[in-house]
Amino acid sequence: MVTDRQLTIYAMTLLTGVAAGFLYLLFQGGKSLPITTRVTDIPAETAAGTYKPVGGVAAAPKAEVVVDLEGEFEKLEGEIGTSAGTWEGFRGADADNIAKDSVPLSDTWPPGGPTQLWSVPMGEGHAGVAVDQGCVYILDYDKEYQGDTLRCFSLDTGIEIWRRRYKAPTKNNHGVSRTVPALTKDYVVTMGPRCFVMCVRAKTGDFVWGLDLVKDYGTSVPLWYTGQCPLIDGNEAIVAPSGTTMMMGVDLATGAVNWTTTNEDQWKMSHSSIMKMEILGKQTYVYCSQNGVVGVSAEPDTKGDLLWKSSDWAQNVLSPSPIGVAPDKVFFTAGYGGGSMMMGFKEEGGKIIPEPLFKLDKTIFACEQQTPIFYQNHLFSILPKDAGAMRGQFVCMDLEGNVVWSSGKTERFGLGPYMIADDKVYILNDNGELTMARASLDGFQKLGFAEVAPGHDAWAPMAIVEGKLILRDSKMLICLDVSAGSSGGSNNLTLNQ
Amino acid sequence: MADAKSNESSDQLNRFDFIKQAVGRGAALTLGWMGGMSVFGAREQNTVWQIDPDKCVQCEHCATDCVVSPSAVKCVQSYPICGYCRLCFGYFLPNAPELTSAAENQLCPTGAIERLFVEDPYWEYNILEDYCIGCAKCVKACEMFGNASFYLQVRHNVCVNCNECSIAMQCPADAWERLPADKPYLLRHKEREETMEDAFNLPE
Repeated sequence: MVTDRQLTIYAMTLLTGVAAGFLYLLFQGGKSLPITTRVTDIPAETAAGTYKPVGGVAAAPKAEVVVDLEGEFEKLEGEIGTSAGTWEGFRGADADNIAKDSVPLSDTWPPGGPTQLWSVPMGEGHAGVAVDQGCVYILDYDKEYQGDTLRCFSLDTGIEIWRRRYKAPTKNNHGVSRTVPALTKDYVVTMGPRCFVMCVRAKTGDFVWGLDLVKDYGTSVPLWYTGQCPLIDGNEAIVAPSGTTMMMGVDLATGAVNWTTTNEDQWKMSHSSIMKMEILGKQTYVYCSQNGVVGVSAEPDTKGDLLWKSSDWAQNVLSPSPIGVAPDKVFFTAGYGGGSMMMGFKEEGGKIIPEPLFKLDKTIFACEQQTPIFYQNHLFSILPKDAGAMRGQFVCMDLEGNVVWSSGKTERFGLGPYMIADDKVYILNDNGELTMARASLDGFQKLGFAEVAPGHDAWAPMAIVEGKLILRDSKMLICLDVSAGSSGGSNNLTLNQ
Repeated sequence: MADAKSNESSDQLNRFDFIKQAVGRGAALTLGWMGGMSVFGAREQNTVWQIDPDKCVQCEHCATDCVVSPSAVKCVQSYPICGYCRLCFGYFLPNAPELTSAAENQLCPTGAIERLFVEDPYWEYNILEDYCIGCAKCVKACEMFGNASFYLQVRHNVCVNCNECSIAMQCPADAWERLPADKPYLLRHKEREETMEDAFNLPE
């Protein structure tokens, strides 16, 4: 017989045990992580010059270094080529990345791929070429010399004719070189990775003038260095410092700054390039900064006037350039999740008003590093890696934002360039694989495939001049014969210069 | 009769010989089985779970399905592959307001990535494994926009090596596999394999 006293003792013992167990589990049940306060790493940010205290002033700017842009000139053994063909700069004539010359190109390649005419080692980077009168120009980076180097090669042989270089030590940051020179019959204009602008005489390489956009115009060099390719319009070089001035025109012959456009909002430089197009009957330079888009008058009597601006298209990282698709429409696209936007324009009270017409998700239409091609009233692009099921596919889209066709899940590409010539599209993959397809609104029709470059990160824009396709991977510049008369195969001529 | 009886007895085993042969054959079989197991069977047994980074699709099951909390799956950094970018897409949120280590700029939900300035323009990114929950948000962004130097691995100083791994059973990409215990990691950068294994400080 259990007494009440015994029952109470049992109950108390049980409760004590449960309480003890609870306390044991509370303190021994799991290792808790210490709570730490996470704040800005002030010493690190200060050392990098990125720390800006709340309510205070920014870190002191680094000491200025004056770069002698005239630098050095070296004549080499190459001879000017015989070709009269031209690839005038970024995206060629009309800046549409569509070759205009009349040399027919081969519809098929032999098993060994198109004939390699020559190849030349390059400093690591993604700079592309401009071509004129048998000369191939490229702004390389000479790692040993530690400077930007404008190199001029013979289109016929790939042998270097001359080089002009200036000291501008630049660390490898996913390669160094980035841009494509702009040229006329008389001048070549370059933009270096750290925003040094140089103008030299074509063919001879004689120095004409130079600009340091960082020192003189307060430019902030974009992450991974600038990808902005200079534009030549008439007798002026057009560049966008996006510093104390947004855009300016520089006289090719004298280096005099003919006009500037204000940058009241302090919008920053992107990797995008200035495109000239007609909007509502006015010749306009359109430029995408990191913080928004500007339209600057290219008309002779109002050149440099800010016609309009819009912050509706702003991307932290932006490489593609704007594309004029109609007299009142400009198409913008980006990678890194940015998607695309069609912007319309209307005139009200004598002012041009930009307004977004529609936006497209990154899974519908986007491009990370290259600018899409506007061809037969449609846009062509390679979708980026974050485009879901469409990632890496080459797509054709109409101007209403409807994808007409895509290359399919078995035909995917990377960040490399694509261009159109002789109704064919040439697509270079990251690892140097070249695909040729029919440029058509009916679908992706593959015509040829070849491994043409040995390296990786083949991202530079390509150029075609009279059947010669010039492309590169991160370390090698290569010229291929893709003309209809080519017999195919490689002659493996590599010039170690 | 005597000869016939003698032949009959020589063909038949006596009890002693029978036991002797049975014991001998049994011992041989046992030794053979043990030898075979020591060569093949032990290799089967001394294996551990690991994720093939080339198959991983960063689905986030690794963060939620592990029996250990936080997960035994951690992000690892391959320094030879990393670009040391100032803007690391594995570290910063898309369109982060500023490129600083302030919390509102960071992609990692637990602040498990340490960002250190090396020299202009390089920044180093280190995984703080005590904070990492294996969610793979940083891995996904690094794969899409960077060099894919971030990737997931099972950390064997945390993993309890379950017979049926609860994450492996959920993995939609069939990225989980058994590896020999003496080679327990699938490293993206082979040249660094030896030093990284040392660095991982594997348990005995």
